[in-house]
Parts: sequence; C-alpha cells; structure tokens
Amino acid sequence: MNSLRIVADRLQAGSSGEIDPNVAARRRRAAQIMLTVGAILLIALGGATTPSFLTFDNAMVVIRQASVTGIVALGMSYVTISGNLFALSAEELAILTACIFGWLMRAKFGLALSLLATLIFAGLGGAVQGAVIGLGADPIITTLAFGGFFRGLASVVSGNQNILLGTNAAEWLGTARPLGVPTQSWAFLFLTPLAWFVLQKTRVGRVLLLTGANREAARATGLRVDQAGLIGVTLLGICCGMAGISAAAQFGQAVANLFQGLNFDVVAAILVGGIALRGGQGSPIQAALGAAFIALLENFMLLNDLSSGWRMTVVGALVTLATCVFHLLQRRR
Amino acid sequence: MQNNDVLRMRGIAKRYGSLTALHGVDFTLARGEVMALLGENGAGKSTLVKILAGLERADGGSIEIDGQHVRLRSPVQALHAGVAYVTQELSIIAPLSVAENICLGGGEPHAIWTARALRARVQPYLDLVGLGGIDPAMPAGSLPLAQQQLVEIARLLSRNARILILDEPTAALSDAEIEMVKSVVRKLAAEGRSIIYVTHRLGEVFEIADRVTIFRNGRSFDPVPVRNLDIDELIEHLLGRRLEQMFPERATSLGPPVLALREVTAPGLRRPVSLDLHRGEILGLAGQLGSGANAILRAVAGVAPYDGGTIAMRGRTINPRSVREAIKLSIAYCSDDRKRDGIFAVRNLYETFTSPALPRITVGGLLSRRREVQLSSELASFFEVALSRLDTHAGKLSGGNQQKVALGKWLGIEPAILLVEEPTRGVDVGARAEIYRHLRKLASQGLCVMFASSDNQEVLGLADSIATFFRGRLVRVVRAEGIQPEELLRDVTHPDESQPGMAA
Repeated sequence: MNSLRIVADRLQAGSSGEIDPNVAARRRRAAQIMLTVGAILLIALGGATTPSFLTFDNAMVVIRQASVTGIVALGMSYVTISGNLFALSAEELAILTACIFGWLMRAKFGLALSLLATLIFAGLGGAVQGAVIGLGADPIITTLAFGGFFRGLASVVSGNQNILLGTNAAEWLGTARPLGVPTQSWAFLFLTPLAWFVLQKTRVGRVLLLTGANREAARATGLRVDQAGLIGVTLLGICCGMAGISAAAQFGQAVANLFQGLNFDVVAAILVGGIALRGGQGSPIQAALGAAFIALLENFMLLNDLSSGWRMTVVGALVTLATCVFHLLQRRR
Repeated sequence: MQNNDVLRMRGIAKRYGSLTALHGVDFTLARGEVMALLGENGAGKSTLVKILAGLERADGGSIEIDGQHVRLRSPVQALHAGVAYVTQELSIIAPLSVAENICLGGGEPHAIWTARALRARVQPYLDLVGLGGIDPAMPAGSLPLAQQQLVEIARLLSRNARILILDEPTAALSDAEIEMVKSVVRKLAAEGRSIIYVTHRLGEVFEIADRVTIFRNGRSFDPVPVRNLDIDELIEHLLGRRLEQMFPERATSLGPPVLALREVTAPGLRRPVSLDLHRGEILGLAGQLGSGANAILRAVAGVAPYDGGTIAMRGRTINPRSVREAIKLSIAYCSDDRKRDGIFAVRNLYETFTSPALPRITVGGLLSRRREVQLSSELASFFEVALSRLDTHAGKLSGGNQQKVALGKWLGIEPAILLVEEPTRGVDVGARAEIYRHLRKLASQGLCVMFASSDNQEVLGLADSIATFFRGRLVRVVRAEGIQPEELLRDVTHPDESQPGMAA
C-alpha cells in the first residue's frame, strides 16, 4: 500500500508543470518550522502526560531508534535529491545484509572481514539497482522488484531461521554507549554532516545535485548523468548495510523479519523533512531531522500505549499532511 | 464582403510581461475563404491564432462569430463556437483506431459503440478530407504523418468546426503529402468553411489562399486579395523597415578554416552538406522548422551524430557520438530550448555558470568556493549579468538573462567552436542586441560561432557568412553582404521558383 501511495505521489509530482524556484526556500523553511514546532509540542505534551518520557533512558531509546532510520534516510536523501525519487528496497536490503553479516560471523570469518564483506555487498546491492535505473528504468518499479529479490534471498540465506552470531565480538557495535551515547547515534551524528559535506562541497555531490535539478541540462553540459544515479543508490545501499549490521549486532542474531516498516519510515522522513521529490533541492540534514521527528513521535505514542495500528495511522496521516502542505506551497506562486 | 464575414476580431491586444505581442489588432474572415497569415517570428500571428483557439486570453478587444459576440476562454469553448485549431503537434492517439480518434471526446449519447456504428458515423468526415479509401478500423499511428493530420481535421469537422486554423500544416510533410493537404483545404473552403492558414512558405500563399493578412511587430495590415499581389510585393510587405543599429559590426577579416564539413549526411538532412567555418567567423544557418539548419549543429555537437561524409576540425576528422565527446573537443552547443537543457532553474547562477567546467573549480575532488565565485563572476561580467544576482535561482531570471547564462556557461570550457540554435528565441529586444554584441566580441577574440535561426533579420544582421537551408538541404552559402533580404527570404521559403544563379 505504501508503494502505491508513493507511485501516486510520483505521478502527481510529474504532472504539475513548471518549477517555481521560490519553492525550494519556502519548502525548507516550512519544513523546519513545522518540525521544530512539532518537536516542541511533542516534548511538552510528552513531558506533561507521560512520566517516563523525558528520562535519560527513554531519550536513549528514542535516539537509538531514530539513528538507524536516520542513517538509511541520509542515504535515501541522496537518491531523492539526485532525481530518482525513492528506492523501495531499503528495508529488504537491510534485512539481507543483516542475514549475511550473521552468516559470516557464524561461519567465523571474524569481525573485520565480516564487516568489510557485508558493506561491500551492500554497496554492490545498491550499485546494481543504480545501474538498472541508469539505463532509464523507473526507479520505483526497479527497486520494488529488487526488494522482492533481496527479501527472498534473505530467507534463503537464513533458511527462515534465526542466525545466531555465536560470538560476542559484534555486541559492542550494537549495544555499547560510549560517553553515554549509543554507537548507532555516534554513527548518525558523524554521518549527517558528512552527507551534507559530500553533497555540498565535493564535485561528485555537485553532479548529483545538478542531475537531480535538471537531468536534460546536466546531460547537455556533459555531466555523467548515469553516474549520479549510480552513486546515490550505492550510498543508500551502504547505509542499509550499516543498518543491517547494527541490528544483527544489537540482538546477537539475524532473522528475515527485521526492520518492519523501515521503507515507510524512511520515505516518511524524506517527506516530513520537506525534500522536493523532483530532485535537485534539499539537504540530507532535512532527512535527518525528519527521521528524528518521526522517531520522537513513534516513541511518544508507544509510551502512551497506542496500538501499532494507531501508531501507523498517525504517522501515515502526518506524512499525508506534510505532502499536502508542500504540494499546496508549490502551487501557490 | 461585409455581411459575409464569419469572424470579426476588433482591437485584440496582448502583452506578455513587458513584451507587447499584439497592439490592438483587427482581423476579419469571410465565409468560404482561405486566409493566409504571414509574418516573421514574433510578429504576433501565432498569438492571435491562439487567442482565437481559446489557448490564450486577450487583454482587450472583442471577437464576433456570425455577428454574435463570443468569449473564447478555453479550447472547448472555442470548438463550441465553431473554431478548431490544428497545431503542428498532433493530438492523435496512435494506438486507437482512426474511427475512435475521430469520435474521441465527442460526448456521444450512446454508451456502447460497435465498430460498425463507428465506421458509419465517421465515413462522411473521412470522405470530406479525402481519406474515404482508408479502413477506419486501422490504428491511427500506422498512417503517414499527413494522413494523421487529415484524421485530426476530420475529427474537428465532426465537431462541426466552421473556422479551421491550420498552423504551418506542411512544415514537416513531403511534396506529395503537401498536395494532399492543400486539396483538402480547397475542398473545405468550397464547402463554405473558412480556413486560416498560417505559413512561412510564400509559394503556398499563391497556390491556395484567397486573401492574405500580414503581421509585423504586433500589428496587422488590412487583408489583401492574393490575385492583386506578386511575390516581390509580398516580401516587401513582410519585411518592413530594418533595425540596423541592433547589430554589431561584422568581422573585417577571417582566420583559417577551423571546421570543415564535407558531404555530411545526418538525421534531418536530405542531401549531403559541405560547409566551412573559419576562426573568428559567425556563420548563420538560415532556415525554417525542418530545414536542416539545426541538424547541422546537432551533428557537430554529437547530439545526433552524422552518418556520412566527414567533419574535420583543424584538419583532423572528428566524430563526436555524444555531447560529452564534443565538449572534450572544445565544441559547445546551446539548444533552442534553454528551459529544457540550458539552465538549472532551481539552482543558483554560480552553479549554472560553472556546470560545464567543474574540473576548473575542483581541487582534489573538493569544490573550491573561491574558484567557483571567481569563474562565475568572470562569465557573468562578460555577458553583463549583474553579479548581485549570482545567488538567485536561474529560473527566476528573465528570458534574456537566462539566455545569457545558458550561453555564458560555455565560456568556462574555453571552447573553440560555439554552436547556438535560435540565439534569441523568447528574448526581448534590448537583451537581443546585447547577446549579438557578446557573440561578436567572442568571435573577434578568435572563437568560431555557428548559429541556426528561423529569424531572417537575425541571420542577416549578425552573420558574416550565411548558409540557407530549405527542407533538409543546403540551398547556398554566401557572404552576408552579398545577399538581399528578399533573396534570403526566398531561399528559405521557396528556393525552387525560377531564380537564376542559385546552386542547389
């Protein structure tokens, strides 16, 4: 269903004609205002109504949860900004990499080798999709298909059973809190400015931005349009790999039903963060903020004993609202 | 004539921003006549036609059809009033049958159709447009272009259109197909329908039109019966006064040849073309839509690679298969659609200016802000784009400034050859003069410029040498001083009609 909604959004985005250059700034401002106001309201509301909400441990739960989604959202922002909408195989690739990491650890390849091999595999998983998209295939359909492929492969690798890592070597990666902050959050905190820097300050990032802004013009100025897509999806793949490793390490096992709803959460982070679906605008920082906000909201609802059905309804409604608001902003000239 | 008028437009005015497209134009059309509309690009004829078709709204004036005041605010309303517009881009839906295409959107009362009922319904209209012989059940997309055009006309006739607007209907057609369209036009006029025929081809005017209305600089002249005109008179009417001061001085001397085309064949050309481009020269390729002038630029730029003959640059044969390869050879190309592929509307001018020359602003993979500012400021100053605007989005600029950015960005790669399609399309008069001046300055610094244009004044005023094109072939190459405006117009509209001294 989520995919359907995204396809619908895509059609809508494609049909609404010219781009108003004012929109980017207005969109970013609107997103930041909405997120900030929303976060303050949530914290205030949470603090007033939920005793455990503002405690330190709780904050750590929120942050760890947000961090994994956030890392994948950073990768996804590259895909969106380079003009390829979304890769709907993020969840599946994360599951597959978790299983592969688990399998490698169980087979006693050692931590370093397992990490390296898993990340390389994850990058390749992204690169293959990027190459297909680079040939001109529709990104949504392509990644939807690859998602099925990855999920199936994950079942095959795990034999539909828990893969126990059988060693504590990776445990630190998944559960430690250096200086009181979870490892995933360190990674997220480190990767967010890095993602921003690469996009804004390197030549590769510029090619990505320009390709997303106007693919035809990018081609006509001699930029490597096909590479831009490839790099975006490859980086997303590596982010999915990190998420997969983190989950396997955190629980000491890998299983094919991890990361439920990750695709939607990541897409929601992009949309709530206000990154333009047309590409060429926005920043990974917006995706990071969006992910953090959604995690905060989810956590607040969880502590208030809302059922998963309600939580999904609320987040879905929020994404719909964000999409509508940005769409209206876009139409107003 | 007076009470036989089916259409009267009075004082039609239209402005686009600071540009006045029509200054209170009058236009009348009699029942059963073919009225040709003539005028150079930007003269206002297509604006008038679009207002009549409900595609644009006039800022002032009134429209009467059959003596009744009408409002034409959408194509549907226009069709309702009996006005139908056949554009160059057909709205035929290829996989549907001919019959389905004709009935499409007709708002029929019956929910269910059989193939036979459809066939019976569309047959009279097919007969009317001379397609009585084709099978209405065949897919419309399998017909040749001219017949698709006729199917579209049949559709409009089935909606009871009494005023038909044909906008350059023959631009993309072969000779035999043109005959077919013309005979249908004559037949429809004989039936009592009125036809507005927009064209650049003067020959056609004499063949099928009863009267001709000429547009110039947003004004129309009173219609003239064609039998009272000869072609020289028509050309004189069309051109009016010149704008000499718009153009810079020409080159005093040319350098050695830099680019040599020998017997080149490429997509869009019907005959092989040979041309030379010299250092410091501005070569103008004059021609209407589909003339092959753009095809030359696209072949050199690697957009539509050539498939026969040779192109040599400084004596070395080159064969760019893509824009990237052409750029590596120091060949820069600006298409005629800057919004589509000339600028990055949602990025700022720094980024657009430096986009072709990223290596120049990169140090070890990192962008150098200092170099980016320096390069883009340099390019902006050369093309007189205000430096204070460098951080605005390219899409926010006026057409003229956008064009300066689209052209200026190429200087970053220090090109040897600059190829430009329609250098001033959609650019207001002031910015035009500036762009001409900048192109001339570049040429005088040793760049070779080759541009294609359907605007004859521009070709005459800007170019050192002129190559004229007509329907996929090179008509001739002359020095700009050696050709009169009348001759140029003749070359690009009907070169075959009895003019001595013309090499085909």
